Amino acid sequence: MFYKVLNGVKIIEYGNFISAPFCAKILADLGAEVIKIESPSCGDESRRQAPFFHDIPGPENSGLFQYLNMNKLGVTLNPESATGLKLFTELLSSADVFVENNPPKRIKKLKLSYTQVKKINPHVIMTSITPFGQTGPYRDFESCELVSAHIGGVGYISMREGDISKEPIKLPAHLFSFQAGLSAAVATLSSIFRQSTTGLGEQLDVSEQESVIQNLNSSIARYSYAGQIMARTDAAGHAPFHILPCKDGFICAAFVEEAEWKRFVEVMGHPEWVDNELFKDFASRAKYWDALKPLMIEWTMQFTEEDIYRRSQEKAVPLGAVRSAHQVLQDKQMAARQFFVEVEHGGSKLTFPGVPYRFSEIKMESPSAAPLLGQHNDEIYCGRMGYTKRDLAKFKEAGVI
Amino acid sequence: MSTPSLKGIRVIAFTWVWAGPWMGGVLADMGAEVIKVETRQRLDSQRVVKITKNPEQSVNQGQFNVTNRGIKSITLNLKQPKGLEIIKKLVKISDVIITNFAPRALPGWGLGYETLKEIKPDIILVTLPAFGSTGPDKDYLSYGSTLEAVGGLSASFGYPGEVPVISGPYPSDPIGSMYGLVGVLAALNYRQRTGKGQHVDIAQNEGVTSLIPEVLMEEVMNGRTRPRMGNRDEIMAPHGCYPCKGHDKWVAIAVGTDEKWKALCRVMGNPDWATDEKFSDQYARWQNQDELNKLIAGWTKNFTHYEVMQKLQKAGVAAGPSFNIEELVNDPHVKNRGIFIEQNHPAAGKTIVYRSPWKSALTAKNPPAPCLGENNDYVFKELLGISDKEIAELVETKVIY
Repeated sequence: MFYKVLNGVKIIEYGNFISAPFCAKILADLGAEVIKIESPSCGDESRRQAPFFHDIPGPENSGLFQYLNMNKLGVTLNPESATGLKLFTELLSSADVFVENNPPKRIKKLKLSYTQVKKINPHVIMTSITPFGQTGPYRDFESCELVSAHIGGVGYISMREGDISKEPIKLPAHLFSFQAGLSAAVATLSSIFRQSTTGLGEQLDVSEQESVIQNLNSSIARYSYAGQIMARTDAAGHAPFHILPCKDGFICAAFVEEAEWKRFVEVMGHPEWVDNELFKDFASRAKYWDALKPLMIEWTMQFTEEDIYRRSQEKAVPLGAVRSAHQVLQDKQMAARQFFVEVEHGGSKLTFPGVPYRFSEIKMESPSAAPLLGQHNDEIYCGRMGYTKRDLAKFKEAGVI
Repeated sequence: MSTPSLKGIRVIAFTWVWAGPWMGGVLADMGAEVIKVETRQRLDSQRVVKITKNPEQSVNQGQFNVTNRGIKSITLNLKQPKGLEIIKKLVKISDVIITNFAPRALPGWGLGYETLKEIKPDIILVTLPAFGSTGPDKDYLSYGSTLEAVGGLSASFGYPGEVPVISGPYPSDPIGSMYGLVGVLAALNYRQRTGKGQHVDIAQNEGVTSLIPEVLMEEVMNGRTRPRMGNRDEIMAPHGCYPCKGHDKWVAIAVGTDEKWKALCRVMGNPDWATDEKFSDQYARWQNQDELNKLIAGWTKNFTHYEVMQKLQKAGVAAGPSFNIEELVNDPHVKNRGIFIEQNHPAAGKTIVYRSPWKSALTAKNPPAPCLGENNDYVFKELLGISDKEIAELVETKVIY
């Protein structure tokens, strides 16, 4: 854990890949006990996802899995077997929260839908995260990061100044699967707050598509009030709102207020540009962007991105350096706030992103490493649930755990 | 039974633009009473975005109404001693204060955490500045695009082999909101257990970085920069967005296994090219994805994006249109789920908003976004017991302003 907030809250995670594991990670980071249930044969899919430490694939070597599952306990269990299901329901009977992201059809077939789980434990909060939610015509449709980004409406407008002859693209990595997990954690935390006074649970039906939709506020406002359909070319009327090359990389000069532009031309040593009729406002600068862009680049190419970032920010210009992962890891601001953390991995310490929140009244603690596949089987099945070592061996032979 | 989770929790919101207001909108869905403190001295920039032609209504027509729905608004000038006195009375009867203003704003008014704690010992203060309230860059300025640049997202965003681009919808804002809400709800849970309040400080740039661990861990584990990948995946292929019938219409398709590939081929009518050795297994398809994408595009362009989705989903292949906002609002699944809500705003007229991205039976029923100072009477008279005569004076002296 990072912060002891939810001590005593017991969470069962039957999650795979990103959304549900990230939701449970946030709760584990806040001190809840998360028992992660994985398939005995192959474990969580993210164990097979790059990046791998020193490019060596292996179930304990994925940076993605390690990040998503730190601070959790891990057991293996196959609920498709009758004995497995019995163990699963035993685990659920003493849980406060059940987090999962299985297809609705599968979870029902396993007898683990909310209606069924409520009978085992009426007090439980069940947070289900699926591409399209638990209801509606697309409920059982297949999806993934790519499809969700596009069917949620962000792909279509994914860039400020695009070329519509080229295909719309999604945002990097698995941003929206993470955002769905984050949103699910928020929903779950509000329900835990209610549960702790009333003892009541509920079903939380989180849709990845809807989580993507929450990024569309400007889009929906324009549609709502002006019938306007935003496209990938909408920024064309506003400049500068661009990423520009510089001596050693790129900078992001995206301004909203005229005053910011005025301060920036001073930073560039060209205060006279303010008086240039062609560059008088955002619209005009956009119209004559072909003339302005080379002038700006002539200046940016003389300096490093760090240099331009500092010079601009010192003059209250909201310009950003386009940082690579390498630069992010060197960021002095993040270092001052102790954002990055060191976590044990196979005998060495590796740097991971930490959490973006700091609590004034609670001490930050060091996180623990993600569980090896089935690492806590003994502790949970024998130590907590009272099964013997021999039972465990039989469970294993029978493919239950 | 169906009382919203945060019923009885009062929140004071010093918020503007997007990340702060969306926190308020979600807290309102959870049943909290959210009171936004505004002033004509400096309005939330989103109140003055002019989307329609009617200037009289423009103050209330824009994305302001999407993110601030369900909350209350008061007008108060905190630079006047009487304004500050009134806000302190409100703090005394509130549970949480949220803000996405610059770190110096609240302390500048004399409302730093230490002062707030003296007024209300168990108060929860959640601050959501761009880079956090501590560290050397704490006063740096930022918009969503700046955060994405500095947080490491922009460098990975773009078409393969091309320069980085600025994202269209700035997901960093709602990501900040959700982390802000993690802060609020964790602190509320903690207060319920210990009776203690808290200052939770969230750095939005850290929030962005924490959602792209693949990018960071590639650098940490292998010292490599993750390339810009557009719609591509680490190993899946086909994995892209393909042209369909109509102007700027596209469908996203993702194939992760040989079995799904066979299903795709069947739907395409088993074309001869599909049996080529170049596409015989996942690795081969991934290696030859440029050629593969062209061939698939040759098939998709004969159909509408809906037709491709229906055909492929029927065969169990992940596919979905890259929806524009109009298509999204009118899609049968999206309608069935009720994520978009049509409200009749007293000043702005028909307004489409979206609820929080999950379904819960406990979601509160809430009014449209408030007009400026709409709830002055309720807050100043009913909650704080200020007399009509005093209120008239406060309006006259521009304290209530």
